[in-house]
Amino acid sequence: MTTYMITRPEHDDTTHYLSHWSQETIEVANKKGIKVLDLYREKATRQQVESLLKKHNPAIIVLNGHGDEKTVTGHQNIPLIQAGENEHLLKEKQVYAISCSSGKILGPKSINKGAISYTGYDEDFIFFYNPEMISRPLKDDMAKLFLDHVKIFIDSLLKGNAVGEAYARAKERLRENLVKSLSTQEQDPILARYLRWNLRHFVVHGNIDAKIE
Amino acid sequence: MTEQISKDLKDIVIARLETLPKHMKMSIGSYGDFNREQLIEHVKKEDSIGKKIIQVELEFLQAMKEGNLLV
Repeated sequence: MTTYMITRPEHDDTTHYLSHWSQETIEVANKKGIKVLDLYREKATRQQVESLLKKHNPAIIVLNGHGDEKTVTGHQNIPLIQAGENEHLLKEKQVYAISCSSGKILGPKSINKGAISYTGYDEDFIFFYNPEMISRPLKDDMAKLFLDHVKIFIDSLLKGNAVGEAYARAKERLRENLVKSLSTQEQDPILARYLRWNLRHFVVHGNIDAKIE
Repeated sequence: MTEQISKDLKDIVIARLETLPKHMKMSIGSYGDFNREQLIEHVKKEDSIGKKIIQVELEFLQAMKEGNLLV
């Protein structure tokens, strides 16, 4: 049985939004008969991640959180996966990190240690949101421009598409949102420069032909 | 971004940020969440957050000049 592991810390606005925008992928996995390991809020710890990776060997891992070039963090910004420490645990896995910059060093190092693929961002991931919508982040149209590609990428992987195809679909959505933001007369043109930034720094490493069984 | 930031570029970035609605916030990865006034302050100070915002604007302007906006 295929297993999907997701970390969803929610200790600040950024992680709150990332968590909600990837929440629906759990339902997609359930419908596909994929076993889900949801490390939600205070469960997103290094100990839990390491333990579940060893015990359940998930095929797909999604890491929501903060980070840097070498690290992805979980609850209260505690490091979960760090280059040079435990990236070998990503061996034989398809990984997606919605986190800043980890596509620069942690991604390639994970591939060197046997990860199938590592998708993420090789620079700071930036998004806008409306704090008045904090209790309904999925209804925040501004955040949607920046975050709906996340769901597209994960859903595509869970539906059995190759990493490269999922990446292309997600990238296309980001591109569409960039075009949309460039063509409006309201506040969206300023969003365009940040959408373009994310699009330019959305990267994939490893075997793009891989797909789950 | 180590080169000296021109006053013109800084002014452009601040003018852009001033068009943002007051209630909007920007999440810049590990730096945190910022409102319009905070972003403008960081750009004025040219600290690491301000430099990041200026870098985004600079890349956008260069891409526009080169006709390469859609990457």
